[in-house]
Amino acid sequence: MAHITINQYLQQINEAIENHEGSFCAELLSFKHPHVANPRLQLASPEEKCQQILEPPYDEMVAAHLRCTYAVANHDFVEAYKFQTLVVQSFLRAFQSHKEENWALHIMFAVTLDLRIFANNAEQQLQKKGKGQPGEMLEKAAEQLMSCFRVCASDNRAGVDDSKKWGMMFLSNQLFKIYFKINKLHLCKPLIRAIDSSNLKNDYSPAQKVTYKYYVGRKAMFDSDFKTAEELLSYAFDHCHRSCQKNKRMILIYLLPVKMLLGHMPTHLLLRKYDLTQFADVTKAVSEGNLLLLNEALSKHETFFIRCGIFLILEKLKIITYRNLFKKVYLLLKTHQLPLDAFLVALRMMQVEDVDIDEVQCLLANLIYMGHIKGYISHQHQKLVVSKQNPFPPLSSVS
Amino acid sequence: MCPAQELRERESQNRLHHFEVVPGTEAFRKPSGDPLRAVKEYSRPAAGKDAAKPSDLRPPDVLLRTVCYLIDEIVGSPSPHPWTEVYSFVFDRLRSVKQDMIIQRLSGKDCVAILERTVRFHIYASYRLCGEPLRIYDPRINDTHLQEYLSWLFDCYKTGAGPYPNQEEFQALGLLYNLGLSAATQHVLELPVRLRQTPSVKLALAISQAFLAGNPVRLLRLAQKLDFLQACALHRHLVTCRRHLLLIYSHGFSSRNCRFPLDRLARLSSLEAPLAAGLCRAYGVEVNQHNQVVFSKSAFAEPAQGRLECKLYHGIVSEKERGLAVKSIIHGCS
Repeated sequence: MAHITINQYLQQINEAIENHEGSFCAELLSFKHPHVANPRLQLASPEEKCQQILEPPYDEMVAAHLRCTYAVANHDFVEAYKFQTLVVQSFLRAFQSHKEENWALHIMFAVTLDLRIFANNAEQQLQKKGKGQPGEMLEKAAEQLMSCFRVCASDNRAGVDDSKKWGMMFLSNQLFKIYFKINKLHLCKPLIRAIDSSNLKNDYSPAQKVTYKYYVGRKAMFDSDFKTAEELLSYAFDHCHRSCQKNKRMILIYLLPVKMLLGHMPTHLLLRKYDLTQFADVTKAVSEGNLLLLNEALSKHETFFIRCGIFLILEKLKIITYRNLFKKVYLLLKTHQLPLDAFLVALRMMQVEDVDIDEVQCLLANLIYMGHIKGYISHQHQKLVVSKQNPFPPLSSVS
Repeated sequence: MCPAQELRERESQNRLHHFEVVPGTEAFRKPSGDPLRAVKEYSRPAAGKDAAKPSDLRPPDVLLRTVCYLIDEIVGSPSPHPWTEVYSFVFDRLRSVKQDMIIQRLSGKDCVAILERTVRFHIYASYRLCGEPLRIYDPRINDTHLQEYLSWLFDCYKTGAGPYPNQEEFQALGLLYNLGLSAATQHVLELPVRLRQTPSVKLALAISQAFLAGNPVRLLRLAQKLDFLQACALHRHLVTCRRHLLLIYSHGFSSRNCRFPLDRLARLSSLEAPLAAGLCRAYGVEVNQHNQVVFSKSAFAEPAQGRLECKLYHGIVSEKERGLAVKSIIHGCS
């Protein structure tokens, strides 16, 4: 197979198309398959040959694919991206003419995946030369993917088994990858809505669902909708294949902070298993109510946390840390009427900058409002009066 | 600043703004256009319309001079016209400047100088026109444009060679204006440490931290340290912030026999005592005849739409404006 001639190759594709062998045809057009390294296929102008054997628009699609292999062999990803766009466009023309059949979905998966990868590579190549706007290539690729998405989403005629709608989640995932990369998260919304309202949403493959929930979970996290984020990311983590340790680690980077915010602290074992010990001090600091250690841990691993986009949410852990610190004050004083000064002393011990009684009152009021403390503040007596029963309800029962 | 043909057309159609006519001819049936004062107006690109003529495009230096003219002669000069009129004129002409910039794919120093002034103008307007009727000033539209200018400006900083001496000012303004928005905060966090350590960005980050930590007392305290334009940028969040303060205090101090001194609450919320009392009442919080606040979690209620006039509570911003000329605020030489 590795060194077949151009004629053999074209014959194989022609047969695969005629017999509707989607996955075999997809292989023959995918850069994951070894044929792309075959020098006999890397042609600069294969158009004529393709026209002899294939019907339009397949001839154009395959010719563009071969020119793309030629470009990749020369490490010219800008050219490769250009031809891959042509592949996708001519594929789409064929795909649209397939009425009530969806065997070509596999081809679409293969060619759109490569399109995104080449857009990425092309962009890197341009950036190195100092050319092009950041995100420009990826945005153009996203437009192509969107036109595929529209064709899939609007396939209302076919029955469930032959529906092109089965392609929607794969394309959404590819688009999410781009939108997250170029920081245009608001563009995810219409895709999520389209999938949510689709009756197939629970029946996509587990792999696709894991990716999908990972991204939608991250989006929810970004929108400060932590309950939803926890559900989605937990699903992704639980259903991610056990051999994909790297993916599980990626999910955890976002799942951990959300869980912590809801009061669930990770074990040291888990952090070690997934090489996420950056979180170890944060976990310790939050559970001990040690603001000083929390600030240290945050600044020590700042670069990592910022790059992952979780620094902000980790900052929100401060509220939980205050709660745990104040609970310690309560446990030490063993009374239900706690002088506000005691909290001020605790905060000063943690080296909180220019803190005073007004701020103590504000922080306590906020914790009471959020349900983390049951009680009230008496300004006249300068005391926090806490409930005799369960004054610091468990975190998981709050929010 | 205005293509000759457009000037003739608008003159004959009587569509010149009175900022654009030869002084003294305003009262005529057809006031004559002043080529020195007329500014190309924004025109929506539409199907069937000729593509912009290259001769109608103003080169970068003319665009910058146009912007300076608008600031010096329209925004900054004492005019008998109400500021809402100044705003709608300048808003439109800046928009046409933007249009010319986009067509020419402007970037670099001139582009940054124009965008910086435009952003300052829109931030200032968001404060100055707060509370004006919707048909005169729509905060939504002002916001949409401001966000566009801001993100373009940040792109310029990121991709341009620089150096851009005003960058820290605008990174801080962006963060304050978009307080609490994950994208804005993440953007600032990703800046080089050198920039994040500058005083104004540090202060803006501290304010955003106080916001995230649910600490309005600290937030309002830090807000006192802002300069006038920064306070303008933060201004639209002050209502939310004070509301949050009253909300959590209504829960935290909710006890039948407890009282909270009004003057203390006034100090915390950076307001005069009578205004603080008014604000309390707007949210259903009782203030008794001894000037004590009676917080109660069941009493707190959202004010009816339009009942809360943000403008009344502008003190924290307006006191910083004293002695500043609008012109210099927008040019950035304070």
